[in-house]
Amino acid sequence: MSALALLGAFGTLFVAGYGLLTLLVRRETRFSLTEQIAFSWLLGTGAVSLLLWIFGLLVHGALLPALVSIVCLLLGFTGWRRMVPLPVGSAPKSFEIFLGIIIVIEIAVVFYLSFVHTLGWDGLLNWEIKAHYAFANGGVIPATYFSDSGRAFSHPEYPLAIPFTELWLYLWLGEADQFWAKTIFPIFYVIGTFLVVALGKRFTGKTWNGLLMAAFLFFVPQITVEVGSAIAGYADFPLSIFYLATIGCLFCATEPKNDAFFRLYAACLALLPWVKRDGLILWIVAAACGVFVILRTKRSSRHFLALFPGLLIICGWRLYLSAMHAPQAAADFLPMNLETFSSHLDRILPLFSALLAEFHNLPIWSLFWFVVAVGVAYLLGQMRNPGTPVLLNALFVPIVLYLLIYVFSSWPNYLEHVGLSISRLLLHVAPVGFLIILLAVSRRRVKSPAPVHERGVTCTMAVSERTPVVELA
Amino acid sequence: MTCRFSYGRIAHVLLWGGLAVASLWVSIPKIYSGVTQSPLHSTGPLHTCDSYLKFATGASVAAKDVISIFQSTTASKRIIIFTRKDDAFSSGLGLTAAYLASPHLVRLFEINGTHPDNELSKMNPDEVAAVVFCRINRPTWLPAGKVFGSGLEVVSMSEKVRR
Repeated sequence: MSALALLGAFGTLFVAGYGLLTLLVRRETRFSLTEQIAFSWLLGTGAVSLLLWIFGLLVHGALLPALVSIVCLLLGFTGWRRMVPLPVGSAPKSFEIFLGIIIVIEIAVVFYLSFVHTLGWDGLLNWEIKAHYAFANGGVIPATYFSDSGRAFSHPEYPLAIPFTELWLYLWLGEADQFWAKTIFPIFYVIGTFLVVALGKRFTGKTWNGLLMAAFLFFVPQITVEVGSAIAGYADFPLSIFYLATIGCLFCATEPKNDAFFRLYAACLALLPWVKRDGLILWIVAAACGVFVILRTKRSSRHFLALFPGLLIICGWRLYLSAMHAPQAAADFLPMNLETFSSHLDRILPLFSALLAEFHNLPIWSLFWFVVAVGVAYLLGQMRNPGTPVLLNALFVPIVLYLLIYVFSSWPNYLEHVGLSISRLLLHVAPVGFLIILLAVSRRRVKSPAPVHERGVTCTMAVSERTPVVELA
Repeated sequence: MTCRFSYGRIAHVLLWGGLAVASLWVSIPKIYSGVTQSPLHSTGPLHTCDSYLKFATGASVAAKDVISIFQSTTASKRIIIFTRKDDAFSSGLGLTAAYLASPHLVRLFEINGTHPDNELSKMNPDEVAAVVFCRINRPTWLPAGKVFGSGLEVVSMSEKVRR
């Protein structure tokens, strides 16, 4: 029974996401199956959680899941009528099959780890708690939860993408079940590997590059086994996957007239602040990168509308919290103003030292950041391509901004605050680091993108035309 | 030109190959210990809460019983939770109890020491549904509640409170 219910929950979620994908892509670009699955999941979780929240303002009880299911099916019907075309397939090479098997084993291990561990502390008390309370209250978080000072520890002001995806499972299962709620997180890991494989193919034209990078995701302990990893039920890993999708799509959108990817970028961008409050910082950085791409590729000004859905979600959530009398200021931070900043400037050097110490924290990151640094060195010579500064800024600017936020820490020992959370914040940008390594490993000479005239041709195909002979010449 | 290209290519392959091997060398022991040191937990709907309660008190499958005590009290009254300062177990128990106390409003008190007499004496018992003691001693004047393992006691205020 549980299996059927889970199938229903995940099925409707994928159907809704696929419908949205078809609406955004408009048959302009071919998408591989892994890309279609990945974007369907990301858009599906975003859509279902937003629908539950918005419809929950109007109805509750059995009507709420029924309404959301109907909308999901309607979106799916739209998708069925305008299927996204698949690329022409080619037989995989034996090395690709080998890497594929490795990735399947890794995914199985991540599922296993997820099931043998409990939800992490924040996974239960910051995220699942909201799903649990909403389920017990007919699908809507009780108003008293937001104003109850005794539950301020659970951060009622945190956004609802992850809790309401868990709620969607609960509504289908008919009970709040902490065990099954955990299934969401290894799926995000699967989506992460799919995205790295797919973007690897698009960036370099070679499938094995993406497969190799995806296989290495597993070997970063912060992604697989550490606190806040893909198995703990925290929002950090899902946020990192949304950010990967956003930046990956923006990179592909640097190719002129590749508007399908630009629309996907806009959709993923909008969902960043809906996954976690820190997503607001990632939203600002990714939006700034988007503005840079619009200006650099001389796109029309209507492309600035890409920022609008995200702004709508940010403002909508703020208004909702105000209406619910929820505390909006973070208790862990002092008021963020120039006066506080200038009076705490002496923290900057110790903060940078703490960051450097985190970079070479081998039990948590292995050699990941060292490898990223080598990758960055490779890319520095290729700054003329708009995609390169996008990737580098998407990696570095959030790290700097996250670090500066600790200047405002209200903890008596602010370095302890850093020590407890910096690894999870770095996790948000880690998958983008993989994209940088991917480009460096492939030694792709990033050229200024040439205009693509033929409909359906993407950066993959443009790059794949570069044969070794051409490269040698 | 061909020769330079080949040297560059060899250096490139050696660099990235070396980095890959070194990364695996550092990561595999950590990942291996993470994979092999995970005991299987129960699969119930409240399995995370059960695991936390078992870890902190030793009581098995206790979350459901804690919920049933809270549910037997008046929903419009508060649950009062006492935890001990500088005691991570006590704090964890308190937050788990607060999670389980829904739909009641909760109030968390973090106190120095293990005797909450002062705080309790200031409270109006008519506004309290239950009092939870997390590794804190229940005052002797309060009737005994339900004890879970070692360190968690829930006193329902439906019982007559005498001082």
